[in-house]
Amino acid sequence: MPELFGIPITGANIAFFVLALIILLSGVTVLMMDKLMHMAVALGGVFLGVAGIFILLGADFVGIVQIMIYAGAITILMVFALMLTQNGDETRTAQPHPTRTWLTLIFTVVFVGIIVIVLRSVQWPVSQNAIEPFTQPTVNLIAQALYHTYMIPFELVSLLLTAALVGAVLIARKEEE
Amino acid sequence: MYSQDFIFILLFVVLGLALPMATLAMIGPLLRPKHPTKEKLKTYESGLDPVGDARVRYNVRYYLFALMFLAFDVETVFLYPWAVEYHNLGLYGFTEMLIFLVLLAIGLVYAWRKKVLEWK
Repeated sequence: MPELFGIPITGANIAFFVLALIILLSGVTVLMMDKLMHMAVALGGVFLGVAGIFILLGADFVGIVQIMIYAGAITILMVFALMLTQNGDETRTAQPHPTRTWLTLIFTVVFVGIIVIVLRSVQWPVSQNAIEPFTQPTVNLIAQALYHTYMIPFELVSLLLTAALVGAVLIARKEEE
Repeated sequence: MYSQDFIFILLFVVLGLALPMATLAMIGPLLRPKHPTKEKLKTYESGLDPVGDARVRYNVRYYLFALMFLAFDVETVFLYPWAVEYHNLGLYGFTEMLIFLVLLAIGLVYAWRKKVLEWK
């Protein structure tokens, strides 16, 4: 198998690095953008990339849920919240002192260097036998766990959701008045 | 490998992105004539002149609906595995989901009574 920097070039590895690049680029975009609205949309890119990572790891249901809840609902909620509160686009904060920028750069480089050295020096345990794939699609496994083994927690989730709904209505209505 | 099922979805995503990008950004400019005038570049070419900024403060009702949408979106997530596994769960699973839905319906009734769903 062809290798690049000691990493075998497989479809899964290529997908991982593409997704990691999407996540990192979107994350940096969130920090670099001037307007809050653009930041919120860029955060959607991060959520989508994370969903891809979930699917790549075999947790397909969690990945789809990530797209549905985070990339769909949470991003929309943030955009609505911004449209509600933000009138102008004056979100640019004062530029930090140049010395601070350089110090930040130096400390970041040192920090990343230490992390890389530590990660490279550790002997990571690698499983010798292949990981058994799931016997069923993960959706079925989740369903069996949720509706058989963990029935009471599942019912409590509905209580939690109702409480969240009522709480959201209460708080939002107070804001309205 | 398991994630090979998702290669088709990836293919659809790539095609779905590439097709409009190719037609709108690459082939389109080559084919369409481009003679812009001041009138043509307006937001509504033959309509009203736009007034003010596009970014206005939205009604708080949108936010309330978004919040409620989020709660029921999370509820829907629980419905999917239940629906897939429905035949194996049987009556037991049916009652379970009924309790779940009734409890959430109480939240909906509360929002209804508080006139959150009314659009004035």
